[in-house]
Amino acid sequence: MKILSMLWKNLIRGPRTLLFPARPPVTERFRGLVQFDPSLCTGCAVCRFRCTSRAIEFKAGKGEFTWSYNPGQCTFCGRCVEGCAEHALKDGHLEHALSQAEDTPPIYLVQGELKKSYTVARRPPAARPAATAPAQPAATSKPSPTTSGGAQ
Amino acid sequence: MNLITALARLLIFPGLLFAVPAAWFFLWVERKTVALMQGRVGPPFMQPFFDFVKLTAKSTPPRSGIAGALMRSWPLIALASAAGAVGLLPVLPSSGGFEGDLILLLALLEMPSMCIIAAGFSSRSIFGEIGSAREAALSVSYNIVFLLAIVSIAASQHTFRLEALAALPASPLRLLGIVAIIVCLPAKLHINPFSLPNAEQEIYAGPMTEYAGPELAMWELSHGLEWVAATGLVATLLAPHFGAWWLAALVFVALSFAIVLLLSAVAAATARLAIDTSVRFYWQCTLIFAVLAISSALFMRYRL
Repeated sequence: MKILSMLWKNLIRGPRTLLFPARPPVTERFRGLVQFDPSLCTGCAVCRFRCTSRAIEFKAGKGEFTWSYNPGQCTFCGRCVEGCAEHALKDGHLEHALSQAEDTPPIYLVQGELKKSYTVARRPPAARPAATAPAQPAATSKPSPTTSGGAQ
Repeated sequence: MNLITALARLLIFPGLLFAVPAAWFFLWVERKTVALMQGRVGPPFMQPFFDFVKLTAKSTPPRSGIAGALMRSWPLIALASAAGAVGLLPVLPSSGGFEGDLILLLALLEMPSMCIIAAGFSSRSIFGEIGSAREAALSVSYNIVFLLAIVSIAASQHTFRLEALAALPASPLRLLGIVAIIVCLPAKLHINPFSLPNAEQEIYAGPMTEYAGPELAMWELSHGLEWVAATGLVATLLAPHFGAWWLAALVFVALSFAIVLLLSAVAAATARLAIDTSVRFYWQCTLIFAVLAISSALFMRYRL
């Protein structure tokens, strides 16, 4: 008889699934397509260094660089966004087929419609306020070990 | 029953014009009820109709020779039999009929099951053959109880004419027979706990595995018509006959709907039984009630 009470509770509680194509909203921490802001990027290429799935490509040129992103290879780990000191990268909450914020996922019919490559003129990083160096206690300081460096 | 009445019953009510939408509606009610009881949304209202239209628009793989002709003919025979069974139901008062139409109804109700068995073996698919073997084993189990229950009802009322059976008041013995028929319906309609022939987690679609396109659409429709015929049989045996035809039709639809809900609740509440357990259930547990019903009916007949 326990199964009957379970069925009744399910009937009263209502369904816990959604009818296609409705989809549940994503959480605040959902990571979608990486969004790139060329005006903030300094071309340090840390994002390419941190990208373990090799989704970000970086080509340095004379006075400019090309930043490109392959969503097909991206695992949406968010390490590039974390490592971007200039905040030129951010997670796209809505810009992904799985973002589930719209009725239908975005469909790109024309090649190049989803902009994945940016060529940016190189510029120096923005000036930062000078950080105060922490005081080092003299008693605990140790002499740095000598490096042999040479061949034996 | 003259020709006009017979055609009206077969084509209009309770025949095809009523039965085909009712078949899609009952299929939707069953799927929706099970889904809601399992905490799912379930299909939209028009889904069985959309499935039918979509399947009829698809093409089927070419099958040549006698095997192909057989595979194409089984769903049509099943569909025609199920439609004929629905047309025979004495829903409206004084709608005609003939002596012995109950036996014809039982034969027509059994034909889709036979066609399913033959279709599975015709398809030469291992899953189809396993499904057909299961359907055959299940058929010889539940049909004993089903037929004994029907015969007990007919013997207690001294007639094999459906209209006369429907017109007579329900006796306790008849209610016992109706309960036995309802116990057989999950096996006849391939729903849990007797959904062995089309156990999708084990043998895909069983006998239907090799079917596609319009042939599968015909199978789906014949399955829906089986729902209408089987639940309608119980509804006509349960419902008292009213004078007004619209009231009789309304009671018929309401009772059929209630039986579909009951069977759906049973399907949602149970898991699939193994074939030996299913056969044992009918031969050991249910058969005794059917034998009691028919022996009581015969005893009453000779006593009266």
